[in-house]
Amino acid sequence: MLAEIVISAFLVIGGIFGLVGSYGLLKLRDCMQRLHAPTKASTVGVGSVLIASMLYFLLVKGQVSFHEVMITLFLFLTAPITAHFMAQVHVRLREREDDLPETDRDFGWSIYEDPPVYGDGD
Amino acid sequence: MILDLAEWRMSIDSSFLPIISLLPFLGALVPGLMIRAGRTACATFTALPTFLALVMLLILAPGVMRGEVYTAEIAWLPQLGLSASFFLDGLGLLFAVMILGVGLLITLYARFYLSKDDPMGQFYTYLLLFQGAMLGIVLSDNILLLLVFWELTSLSSFLLIGYWKHLPEGRQGARMALAVTGAGGLAMIGGMLILGNIVGSYNLTDILAAGDQIKASDWYVPALILILLGAFTKSAQFPFHFWLPHAMAAPTPVSAYLHSATMVKAGVFLMARMWPALAGTEIWFYLVATVGLITMVLGAVIALFKDDLKALLAFSTVSHLGLLTMLLGFGTKAAAIAAVFHIINHLTFKAALFMTAGIVDHEAHTRDIKRLGGLARLMPVTATIGTVAALSMAGIPLFNGFISKEMMLEEASHTYWFQNPWIVPALATLGALFSVAYSLRFIFHVFGGPVRDDYPHHPHDPPFGMYAAPALLAVLVVVIGIAPFLAEPVVKMAANAVTGAETKPYLKIWHGINPALFMSVGAILGGAVLLALHRPLDRAWIAAPRPEAKVIFDGLVATVVRWTRGISEALHNGAISRYLAYFVTATVIVGFAAYQGGALGAPTREMLPVPIPVFFGWLLLIIATATVVILHRQRFLALVVIGVVGLMVSAGFVYLSAPDLALTQISVETVTIMLLLLALHFLPKETPAESTGLRIGSDAVVAVAAGLAVGLLAFAFMMRDFDSISAYHLANSYKGGGGTNVVNVILVDFRGYDTYGEIIVLGIAGLAIFALMEALLSGPAGARLRNSSYDLDRSRDRHPLMMVVVTRLMLPIAIMVGVYIFLRGHNQPGGGFVAGLVVSIALLMQYMASGFAWTTRRQKIKYHTLIGLGVLVAGLTGAGAWLAGRPFLTSAFGYVHLEPIEEFELATAALFDLGVFLCVLGAVMLMLYSLSRMARHAGETVNKEPMGYDPSRAVESLRKKAE
Repeated sequence: MLAEIVISAFLVIGGIFGLVGSYGLLKLRDCMQRLHAPTKASTVGVGSVLIASMLYFLLVKGQVSFHEVMITLFLFLTAPITAHFMAQVHVRLREREDDLPETDRDFGWSIYEDPPVYGDGD
Repeated sequence: MILDLAEWRMSIDSSFLPIISLLPFLGALVPGLMIRAGRTACATFTALPTFLALVMLLILAPGVMRGEVYTAEIAWLPQLGLSASFFLDGLGLLFAVMILGVGLLITLYARFYLSKDDPMGQFYTYLLLFQGAMLGIVLSDNILLLLVFWELTSLSSFLLIGYWKHLPEGRQGARMALAVTGAGGLAMIGGMLILGNIVGSYNLTDILAAGDQIKASDWYVPALILILLGAFTKSAQFPFHFWLPHAMAAPTPVSAYLHSATMVKAGVFLMARMWPALAGTEIWFYLVATVGLITMVLGAVIALFKDDLKALLAFSTVSHLGLLTMLLGFGTKAAAIAAVFHIINHLTFKAALFMTAGIVDHEAHTRDIKRLGGLARLMPVTATIGTVAALSMAGIPLFNGFISKEMMLEEASHTYWFQNPWIVPALATLGALFSVAYSLRFIFHVFGGPVRDDYPHHPHDPPFGMYAAPALLAVLVVVIGIAPFLAEPVVKMAANAVTGAETKPYLKIWHGINPALFMSVGAILGGAVLLALHRPLDRAWIAAPRPEAKVIFDGLVATVVRWTRGISEALHNGAISRYLAYFVTATVIVGFAAYQGGALGAPTREMLPVPIPVFFGWLLLIIATATVVILHRQRFLALVVIGVVGLMVSAGFVYLSAPDLALTQISVETVTIMLLLLALHFLPKETPAESTGLRIGSDAVVAVAAGLAVGLLAFAFMMRDFDSISAYHLANSYKGGGGTNVVNVILVDFRGYDTYGEIIVLGIAGLAIFALMEALLSGPAGARLRNSSYDLDRSRDRHPLMMVVVTRLMLPIAIMVGVYIFLRGHNQPGGGFVAGLVVSIALLMQYMASGFAWTTRRQKIKYHTLIGLGVLVAGLTGAGAWLAGRPFLTSAFGYVHLEPIEEFELATAALFDLGVFLCVLGAVMLMLYSLSRMARHAGETVNKEPMGYDPSRAVESLRKKAE
C-alpha cells in the first residue's frame, strides 16, 4: 500500500514536471528562454518516472532493475549536448556578433572566433 | 561385372561432344593474352582449340559414316525442357568439319591479312566465339539450346562485321546484320516453342521423328512461317537479302568465313535439319522453293552489275543460298542430295574466291573491278586460284560447281510450279546464266586484259601463308570436279541425315544427254554473251532506277525508332514524378480491377479496440505527414518532421509486437536522417515552386487514391484470416533454423538467398554512390562546389569539446550495444543488419564530432573492403554447406557447453549474419564517405586535433610559460 503511494507520487511528480516543461515551451518568449523549459521535463520529469519504475520493480516485482540507470546515464549525456547545439545554432542564425555581450576572456565567442592554437612552438 | 566394351567406347566418344562445343569458347580466352607474345603465337594458339576440336570430330567420323548417331546430355534447366544435349549425325558432322576446317584456314589467312594496326587478339577472340556459336548450332540436340547458339552467332557476327570500328560502313553493316538476323532469331524462338509444344519435347531427335504429327497439327503453318523467318533472315533470302552485301564492310577473312561456310549457311543448315519434320508439304514447297528461286535469280542479276569484288561475291552468295534454299524447298530426296553436295562445293569455291578478293584488295589496294584488270601477269598464283574457283562458280565442267549445278538443273527441269512446267526450269537457267556471266566477269575483268599502270598500289603475289588457304581449297575444287565419286560417302552420310532415309547419291561428270545438259550449255553460252555485252548493259543498269535497300532499311528503322521513342518519351520524360504517377495510377487501377473480381470474402475478424495513446500516436502520424506535404519546400524542416513520422512508425511496430522491425526502423531512421542532412547541406535549402495548380491537383488525386487503396487493402487483409507462410516459419524456426527469433531466422536461413542478394545490392548501391560522387566531383559540379562557400553561416567551433568528449565516451558503449544486438540476433530481436546500423551510427557520431578526415585517418580497413568481405563471408558460409553435401546456404547449428558460461548455441547462420553486418556497415559508411568527400571538395580543411579547443593543451602551455 505504502509502496503504491510512493510510486504513484513519483509518477504524478514526473507528470507535473512534464506538463510544466511543455507549458513553458509554449509560454516562454524567445529561444534561449524556451531552451530551459524542456530541460525540466527531461531531468526531473523523466527522472521521477524512472525512479517510480525502479521502485515498482523493487517493491512490487521483487527484482532490481538497472535499465533505468542506463537510461538516466544516456539522458544526462545527450540532453546537454542537444541543448548546447541548439543554443549554438540559435546564436549563429539569430544573433549578430555585435549584439553578443563581451566574453571578458582572452578569446571571443567560439561560434565567431577560431579556437586558439597551442602549437608545439608555444 | 564385365564391361561392355562397345558401349563404353560409345560413351567415351559421346563425351567428346560437349568438349568439342566448349573448346572454341575456352580458346576464345587465349588470343587476347597471347597477342602479347606476337602475332604468329596468337594465331597458333587460336588454331589450337580449333585443331583439337577437329581431331576429336574426326575420331568420331568413322562411326558417323557407318550411320551411328552420338548423343551426350547434361541436364541444365530440366524444368524448362532445356538441357545441354548434343548429338552428332551426318549433317552435323559435315557442317562441323566445314566450320572447323575453314576456321583453321581463315586463322592462317587472317594472320597474314590483318595489318599491324589491327588488334589481332580481339579478332581471333571474336572468331573463336563465333566458331563456338556455329558449332553449337550444328551439334545441339535441344532446340532451346540451338536457339541460344543461334542468337550467339548473331551477336558474335556483329562483333566480327563491326571489327573495323573506325569505319562507319563497318558499324552500320554490323548493326544491320544484327537487326535483321536478330529479328529473325526472335521469330524463330516463337516457331521453335510452338514446335516443342506440338511434339511435347524440345529434343531435336524427338522432333525429327515426329514429322507427321507436326504436319498434321493446326499450328504447323505458324510454326513453319516463324522458323522460316529465322532461316531466311540468317541465310539472306529475299526480301532479307540486303544485309549480306553491307556486311562486306568486314575484313575479308570475316567475309570468307561468315559468308561462305558458316553464318549464312546456318539458315540452310536449319532448313536441312528440320527437313524431315517440316518439308514435303505444299506450303513448304511454295514458300521455300519460291523464295529460293527469286533469291537465286535476283542475287545473280545484281551480282553482275556490282563493281566491288566483294559485293559481287556477296550477291553471288545470296544467289547460291537461294539455290540451296530452292533445292531444299523441292522436298525430294534427289534435291536434298544436290543441296548437300552444293553446300560442300559452294564452301570450297566461295571461300577461295573471297580470299582471292582479299588478296587482290590487299595487294592492289582496290576492289573496284573497273580499276583492275591484267592481274594474271602480275600475280599468276592468285590469278590461277581465282580462275579455278570462279570457273567452278560458273559451273564449267571438270570443276565441282558444274556437277552440283547440273543436279540442280536436273531437279528444276521436272518441277511444276502451280501446274506450270517451264517457269522453274526457265528461271533456274536464267539464274545459272547470270551466274556464269558474273563468274566470267570476275575472271576476265580482274585477271584478264592488258596490264594497267594506274593501280593504286603495284600488285604482286602475296607470301605463301596468305595464298596457302585458297590454294588448298582450289585443289579441292579440282579434285572433286574430276573425281566426284570421292565425295560420295560424305554426301551420302549428310543426305541420309537430312532426309532421315537411305539415299544413294551417284555423282558423276557425264549424266548423258538430258534437259539439264541443254540448260547448262545454254547458260554458259548466254553468260558469255552477257559478259560481251556488259558495257552497254552496265550503263543501262546504272541509269535505271533501283530501290536502294539500305535507304529503305534505314528509313524503316528510323520510323520504328521514332514511334518507340514517341511512346517511351511520352511515358518516361525524365521526370520521376511522372514515372511514379503512371506507375501508381496503373497499380491502383489494376488493384481496383482485381477487387471488382469479387473474390474477396466477408470479413472474418472483429475490429480491435483503439486505446487512447494509440489514437494519439495515429493522430500524430497523420499530422506529421500532412505537415511534410505542406512544408516540403523548406527541406530541413521537412526532414525534421519526417523524423517524427519515422519514430511514430517504430513506436507502432513496438505496439504491434514487432520489436525487430522497430529496432531496424529506428536505426535506419537515424542513419537516413544523418545522410540526408549531409546531402542537403550541399543542395539548395528550399525547393522552388514549379508546379501549376492543375498538376498539384492531379497529383493530389493520384496520391490520395493510392494511399486510400493501400490503406483499404491492408484493412481488408487485417479483417480476414488468410493462409500465409508465417505458420510454417513459426513452426520451423527453432526446429529447423535453431533460433527463436523468427524474423532473424527467416533472414539468415529460410530466405538466406534473398538476403544474400540484398546485401550484394546494398554493397553495389554503396559503390555506385561512391562512383557517382567520383564522377560528379571531377566534373563541372565539382568546380562549382569548389567555388561556392558553404561556411558563411557556420560556427567556427567545428569540433566542440563537449560533443567530442561525449562521443568518445559513447563509442565503446555503442559498439558494445552493436555486438550485443548482433550476438543475440538469432534468438532475440537484433541481428547483423541492425548491428551494422548501430555500429555505423557509433562511427557516424565520431565523424560528426571530430570531423571526417580526422576520423578516416584513424581507420584501418577501407569501406570497399568491408563490403567485399561481407559478401565474401556470407557467400563462403553459404558455400560451406556444399562441403556437408547440402545445397547452398543450408545452415547448421549446435549447442555448446563451456564452463562457466551457460550453454550457448553456435550456428553457421551467425557467420552469415556477420557477412550481412560487414556489408551493411561498409555500405552505409561508404555512402557517408562519398558525401563527405563533397565537403572536402568544398574547401574544408583538415584538423590535426580531435577537438577544436582542447583545454588540457591550454593548461600545459600555461605551465610551460610559467616555467
